[in-house]
Amino acid sequence: MKLKISNLSKTYKNGVKAIGGVSLEISSGMFGLLGPNGAGKSSLMRTIATLQSPDQGTIHLDDDDIHENKMEFRKRLGYLPQEFGVYSKMSAEDLLQYFAVLKGVSNRSERNAIVKKALEVTNLYKVRKKHVAKYSGGMKQRFGIAQLLLNDPRLIIVDEPTAGLDPTERQRFLNVLREIGTDNIVIFSTHIVDDVKELCTDMAILNGGKILTHQTPVEAVRNLKGQIWNKIIQRDDLEVEEQKYKVISSSFNQDNTVNIRVQGPESPGVGFTQEETNLEDVYFHTLLEESTISKS
Amino acid sequence: MLLKIFKFEIKYWFNNPLFYVYFGVLFAVSTLFMGMVSGMLDGVTATQSSSAYQNSAVSLIGFINEFTVLGFFLLPSIIGGTINKDFSSNTSNMLYSYPFTKLHYLLGKYLSGLVITIIVLSAVMFGAMVGGYLPGTNPELLGEFRLLNYLQPFVLYVIPNLIFVGGIVFAVVTFSRNIASGFVAVLVLLLVQGIAQTVLGNIDSKEIGTFLDPFGAAANTYYTQYWTPTEQNENLLPFEGYVIFNRLLWGGLGLLIFFGVLKGFSFTHSPFTFNFKKKKGERIINTNFGSMIKIKLPKISFDYGFVSNFKAALRLSFIDFKYVITGWPFIIIIAIGLLFLIAVISVTGQLFGTSLQPVTWLMLNFGAGTFSLLALVPVTFLYAGLLMHRSRIEKIDQLVDITPTPNWVFLVSKLFALIKIQVIMLLMVMVAGMAIQSYNGYYSFEIDVYMMDLLGVRIWGLIAWALLAVFIQTIIPNYLAGFFVSLALGIGITYLDSIGIEQDLFKYNEGPNASYSDMVGYGRLLSRFFLYKFYWLLLGGALFVLSIAFWKRGMPTVFKNRLRDGLSSFSLLQKLVFAVFIGGFLSIGSWIYYTNNIKNEYVSSKEREQNLVEWEKHYKKYDEIDQPRIIDVNVTLDLVPESRDFKAKGVFVLKNKSNSIIDSIHLNHNNLPSKFSFDQPAKLVLEDKKFNYDIYYLTKPLNPGDSITLSVEVWNDPNTLLRSSNLVRKNGTFLNGGSIFPGIGYSSNGELSDNKIRKKYGLPEKERMKSALDSANLKNTYISSDADWVNFETIVSTSKDQIAIAPGYLQKEWTENGRRYFHYKMDRKMLNFYAFQSAKYEVFKDKWNDVNIEFYYHKGHDFNIDRMNKGVKKSLAYYSENYSPYQHKQLRIIEFPASGRIAAQAFANTIPFSETGGFLAKVDDGNESNVDYPFTVTAHEVAHQWWAHQVIGANVQGVTLLSESLSEYSCLKVLEKEYGSSQMRTFLKDALDKYLLGRATESSKEKALIYNENQQYIHYRKGSLILYALSDYIGEKKMNNAIKAFLEKNAFQEAPYTTSLDFLSYMKEATPDSLQYLINDMFETITLYDNSVKETSYKKLDNGKYEVTISALTSKYKADEKGKKVYKNAAGDSLAFKIEGKRKPMQSLPLADWIDVGVFAKKEVNGVNKEVPLYLEKHRFDAIDNEIKIVVDEKPDIVGIDPYNKLIDTNSNDNRRNPDEKTD
Repeated sequence: MKLKISNLSKTYKNGVKAIGGVSLEISSGMFGLLGPNGAGKSSLMRTIATLQSPDQGTIHLDDDDIHENKMEFRKRLGYLPQEFGVYSKMSAEDLLQYFAVLKGVSNRSERNAIVKKALEVTNLYKVRKKHVAKYSGGMKQRFGIAQLLLNDPRLIIVDEPTAGLDPTERQRFLNVLREIGTDNIVIFSTHIVDDVKELCTDMAILNGGKILTHQTPVEAVRNLKGQIWNKIIQRDDLEVEEQKYKVISSSFNQDNTVNIRVQGPESPGVGFTQEETNLEDVYFHTLLEESTISKS
Repeated sequence: MLLKIFKFEIKYWFNNPLFYVYFGVLFAVSTLFMGMVSGMLDGVTATQSSSAYQNSAVSLIGFINEFTVLGFFLLPSIIGGTINKDFSSNTSNMLYSYPFTKLHYLLGKYLSGLVITIIVLSAVMFGAMVGGYLPGTNPELLGEFRLLNYLQPFVLYVIPNLIFVGGIVFAVVTFSRNIASGFVAVLVLLLVQGIAQTVLGNIDSKEIGTFLDPFGAAANTYYTQYWTPTEQNENLLPFEGYVIFNRLLWGGLGLLIFFGVLKGFSFTHSPFTFNFKKKKGERIINTNFGSMIKIKLPKISFDYGFVSNFKAALRLSFIDFKYVITGWPFIIIIAIGLLFLIAVISVTGQLFGTSLQPVTWLMLNFGAGTFSLLALVPVTFLYAGLLMHRSRIEKIDQLVDITPTPNWVFLVSKLFALIKIQVIMLLMVMVAGMAIQSYNGYYSFEIDVYMMDLLGVRIWGLIAWALLAVFIQTIIPNYLAGFFVSLALGIGITYLDSIGIEQDLFKYNEGPNASYSDMVGYGRLLSRFFLYKFYWLLLGGALFVLSIAFWKRGMPTVFKNRLRDGLSSFSLLQKLVFAVFIGGFLSIGSWIYYTNNIKNEYVSSKEREQNLVEWEKHYKKYDEIDQPRIIDVNVTLDLVPESRDFKAKGVFVLKNKSNSIIDSIHLNHNNLPSKFSFDQPAKLVLEDKKFNYDIYYLTKPLNPGDSITLSVEVWNDPNTLLRSSNLVRKNGTFLNGGSIFPGIGYSSNGELSDNKIRKKYGLPEKERMKSALDSANLKNTYISSDADWVNFETIVSTSKDQIAIAPGYLQKEWTENGRRYFHYKMDRKMLNFYAFQSAKYEVFKDKWNDVNIEFYYHKGHDFNIDRMNKGVKKSLAYYSENYSPYQHKQLRIIEFPASGRIAAQAFANTIPFSETGGFLAKVDDGNESNVDYPFTVTAHEVAHQWWAHQVIGANVQGVTLLSESLSEYSCLKVLEKEYGSSQMRTFLKDALDKYLLGRATESSKEKALIYNENQQYIHYRKGSLILYALSDYIGEKKMNNAIKAFLEKNAFQEAPYTTSLDFLSYMKEATPDSLQYLINDMFETITLYDNSVKETSYKKLDNGKYEVTISALTSKYKADEKGKKVYKNAAGDSLAFKIEGKRKPMQSLPLADWIDVGVFAKKEVNGVNKEVPLYLEKHRFDAIDNEIKIVVDEKPDIVGIDPYNKLIDTNSNDNRRNPDEKTD
């Protein structure tokens, strides 16, 4: 199974070019879409989810153009938007029943079974009679997962699902996602590098509506292997160091000194120690490369 | 900070296109509307004419207030919107942590919303200013431009009303966090106001009404309702007493509500909700953290087929329906709606305080119509918006939109939910109706009639509205704007008439009404009603298919893209269904158009007006020529109720009663198919097929005294679905001879009467009636211009199960070929005035002396036969004794179906009586102020056997004094004999009110009683007041003797006919010198009093008696034809009296007038509270200010000057006052 995005563009009424000529091929497994806020992740995902039409370009699932035949595509689509509301005064169970109907589960006993299972998987079974509107953020997010399980989706799109979840919730959420993503395509956007590191088999980094890089996390780390150098400096020296070196990230230590990480084929100079490359370095490096290219 | 928030919000609205849309729409509509009433569209519509200026303050307050109601529906969007957008965009959480106070925050929001709404509504005022001066408007309809006329209604009414309603909306939206609740609040408020208005309209105290009307109209009306055209045109709006109080009360309440919000509001973020059962707190502990799980989903199958989708639609509609009916807004609407229905149904149809029997069809007709308009249609529009946009409003749209469920499933589910809501609300009419019936002890519930009417007939129009609303909500992305547009469209459609679009064919959801009544059932229009509803539902269906194609799923986008997406998702099947709907719609439409416009001629009201002009210009020249007159009428009429057809043959003997030779006969007939022939050679020399005016030239002219026989055959065109004759009904036919047979000679009845319009078309000015002073005008009675007294004989046939009735005595009755025949013949001459009735009748017979009394009534309508029978007997007795013997040997009262405004009509010994005109009255004998009107109307109609059928006046000014006023007087006397004076007071008070209201809406000239031009408010209302008062002044016996003498002189006379002037001479003769002024005041001029008790007190005397002191003001003035007050007599004399606290002195004509002064005690007599007169005498008043001392035996409770309202007084309430006790 393969999702093929070709030369996709979308410009909004207010002139913002949210997607600018994106081409991607995504195969079964977990696909992480990494990018800062406002990079165009949600726009891309909404376009894949058929919530908006592209101005240009096509999206094919295997051989089918999904915008040509939205209904067919939606039959096996699971989508969890970044933010969503629920109908007031409806319990999780009722609301899942409602979605099951919308998703074509017309047999009553099968519907009951799948709703029950979805509630169990997401650990909402005990609170199934409660109004979803009164759920906590994590519970609501799990409800979001529950609803996308109902139609046995082959393509699952989840937009920034872990934002705002506590660590255990997040862990559990990712596990569920991973579990259902084994044989299907799961596209999942985040600005948290760790999410991708932990479970994605493939990833792309998006900014300004463009794909900056598309490779597996392992490849990405391998490509920067041995190129990351770390130095501890005083806070006041940061500007000077940034002028001198290609600083991809910096962070405070507890004693108010600053760690800077610099990318380069060999040691940039005195005080630098070589560090293990991690995915975060890849992320920051990619964004930095992009910004220096667009500046120059 | 307040200013900042205020400015921010104002700026927000100034940048919001909705603001300009609202302003623009209101401005455009009010401009157009003002232009229209000012005659801008006279080129395409009938000419606007009015004696009141369109730009007077009184006209403008009506105009502006009507638009304000529409404006109320903007409040939720604007005032509600300013606060709600912080909740809905979730900025409230952040915003509420900012450093401003509640007061600043809320006041900023409220004030800005208020100011924006005021600006938006000022569009109406500006529109009204501009509209009156658009090109093409008629300057005669406008007075001088006065800015205050526009500003006053706006500042005094619109702004306080917006403060009040805005306060409520603000409160509701703030606490519910839901704009829709704001709409519901407005709707509920309007319903409550409707209830208040209905109930208050029926209580005596108009003062209380002025407080309770939240929009102030009642307070304004309190002062202006009796304003004459002159006063309406000249005066500014009253700004005094009740108006000020009302405005302060409700405007203040608005502010109070705002401060209530302020107190109750807190910067937290859960909306206020009702909670009946407090749920137990439950601690939830999360388990199963972070562990890996194996997900094995059960195997499920999917079904995307039609059946499964349809089931899904039903299921979804149930969810939407449940959401609506369990919501508080709907429950509140239902509760208030029920109250509204009960109020409206119980009050509608009341006459003189007496209600109608709660029969099912009346429950339906009174309840369902108003309720549909006020509640059902707006609720449909509102919930169409809420349901169509529900997923977006609750932000679940992205989850819902990506499901593989096709659009039609969603839309069908919304439509079904809407229909279910409509069904629930329609059934409320039944609930309310049956509640009222049970309350009145009426237990013959006709559930089938309710069901058929509500769910078989009325529902279709509502579904058509639902379809339109769904479409509007599809194309307009904002449900508030969609609601507003739906509402504006719904109201606008009914006004299309006034821009010249008159045919129902072009007006969505319009068409004939089908209403049910006991006698007729649904009548002939039901099939046409269904045809039109089907026609509109086809269009609605087509719109619905479009809605399915264009319904927006996913992210909002520009219109161009929506169009593209819609077109691309417009499937072949949908196109096909759309084509079928549109095709059906257009075919039916073309067929209707063809039938009404091409196959038959359509006459617009403009053309109708022009035809009247053309008619007069062509044929007026024949007005004065001599024509033979009908002396003998013989009619054979076959009624076929089953197919609603008739065929008639009339044989008329015409006699040349003139002194000249007549060589041609003019037939002024109708457009029914007919054949005319004469028994002497006659040549058709003119046949006008447009005006149906034919002239026959007689080969041998008709010499004076000669006769000729005219035979007329007339029948109706076959009845079809679109064109059917209303002359014959399946049951309850009431066919007037004049509506099928021709008249002889030109008739001036068809002339344009409005002088302003006449002038426009170059026609000479004319009085509505000719003068009584010219003896040339006395040739004809006002009943007939081609006959005097005629012989009458008829054979009427009808279906086997019906009885047919016409004037005359039954000679023979037989059955032939399954039809029933009735042969009637008059034994003496009668007026050329007859009608035929046929229905399945029950019969009741009785006798008074040797007069046969017969009642023909619909089965079950026997509630008041006894009362009416008593009315017949008492009347026959009183009139025979006081006037002259009854000229017939029978008197028949025959029920006919309620239609139009005719309550009853009197033919010779035959009185057709409407079912609602007496048969269905529900008289409450326990209530003194309930007039027994079946009795009264009967007495009035029986009186016509004298006043019309014995004495008939010439067709000149004042003639109806001789028929209607004298009949009113006669029936009042019979009523008084039977029921005493208390019912008189109710009757006279009602007559006074209707007279004063009538003169306020006079479109031409108010005439004095003896010159009245068939003006109902004068000949019925003022006539009854004045003749009754005169008999009170000169004595009943004296009065009746004068009437009797007048009758003796004029009964059964031939031309020249008598006039009101002749009658007046008898009155003059009977009136003593000291009261001669009454003749002039009452009959010859328009005279009004302004009498009041200023102060009154009593003290107990030592002898146990009571001395009452009355300080009374009395003033008399005359009014001219336009209602201008005149205080000076011919000699230029006038009285004046300065009253403390008033700027202007009170004025009066010089006085030497006798007026009742009365003192009353309230007592319980036989368990009923009655007011007993302790003193009632006429006093002579010579000055405005008077002090009177009277000694009475018992403790006085009420003191009054003219306490029974015998005189005409615009404020009859201040004539009575409760005296204070004074101790020395």
